[in-house]
Amino acid sequence: MKQAKYGLVLYIFLMLPPVITFLESVMAIHMHMQMPLLLIVGMLLAPFFQKHFPQFFGTWNKNGVPGITLFMIIVIYWLMPRTMDEALTEPIVEVFKFISLPFLAGIPLRDSWSKLTGVSKNIIYVLLSMLFGLMAWLYIASPTQLCNNYLLIEQKALGWGFLLLAASIVIYFLSTIFIDESKYV
Amino acid sequence: MFANRKNTIAIGIVLMFGFVLLFVGTDGFSAYTMETARVNKLMKEHPVFPEVTLEDSKERTYPFSEFKGKYVFITFIYTGCSDVCPQLELNQAEVYKRIPQKYIGEEIVFLSISFDPTNDDPKVLNKYRTYFQSDGETWRMARIPDQTELDNLLNEFGVIVIPDENGNFQHNSAFYLVDPNGILIEVMDYQEIEEAAKSVTTILEREGSK
Repeated sequence: MKQAKYGLVLYIFLMLPPVITFLESVMAIHMHMQMPLLLIVGMLLAPFFQKHFPQFFGTWNKNGVPGITLFMIIVIYWLMPRTMDEALTEPIVEVFKFISLPFLAGIPLRDSWSKLTGVSKNIIYVLLSMLFGLMAWLYIASPTQLCNNYLLIEQKALGWGFLLLAASIVIYFLSTIFIDESKYV
Repeated sequence: MFANRKNTIAIGIVLMFGFVLLFVGTDGFSAYTMETARVNKLMKEHPVFPEVTLEDSKERTYPFSEFKGKYVFITFIYTGCSDVCPQLELNQAEVYKRIPQKYIGEEIVFLSISFDPTNDDPKVLNKYRTYFQSDGETWRMARIPDQTELDNLLNEFGVIVIPDENGNFQHNSAFYLVDPNGILIEVMDYQEIEEAAKSVTTILEREGSK
């Protein structure tokens, strides 16, 4: 349960107004730090919920597909330029960010990942790297400001961040294919 | 078996939730950026141009209702801007040239509003207008000296202005057309000169044939 405690502490820390202001002042930090950290909060909290509601996770997310689908939907939602803008101007969207990323993306991801088959995992790797690659292209190549609240130059920085993320996933994915981990145990 | 069915139901629920979430979040898959959402909203609501006091390049001060009875073609700028505003103004000049001469000044007035009243006094505006062959009469450049009025207007029209570290501003740009009753009727892409000129001319012709 230590993990759940760390998760809770991190969650509360991220909710502190000065922390929110700081993390959201830079576009790339907003997207590539605050949002992933909220996801991690959910992943840390997952064991707590799995322990208390084993029945729920066991039946409603038996093969992991419902959970990972929910995770993908939430990720796609937060990739849109508009949602990031609205999180800054509309309080209800901001609240939704703090609820959806940990509870509808982080927890389902952790609960689903171990249940997924190898093929499903590969599909997720490919989907995510394609999605992030697409986002990189969108944010780097767009000649116009996509978010009204952030400068064009920040948008480009965000795009390069996406490219790095996509590349990392591709490299990791390839390593899982070509490296047989059992040989190195 | 029973557990598997629940699993399948869960997938259905998740997909439905996802569809609703993305549908609502994009106004029915029509607006993926806040800018599109803003323009769509303005075009739907047609807000009345708020009453503001303008001070133009000829140091004349008058309320916006001075233009009552005429269409007003508006852009928001500041003269210190080095990237998008000159482009915006050049494009505005192109639209100005494409509108039939008989309407200019009679049926329609062009107006560039500065959102940097501290810097853009009448003198600066008077110099700036010459770069774009604005005559200061049928195409006026003006500032809104009252900050509250200015903020209110920018807020009403959803113009978001962000100052950057170099003392510049970045903002979302568009052409705005206000009708003779002071109602915003069109928000146009400032990069589509031909299209903007065509739709403005069509509106003016329709008005003329009444």
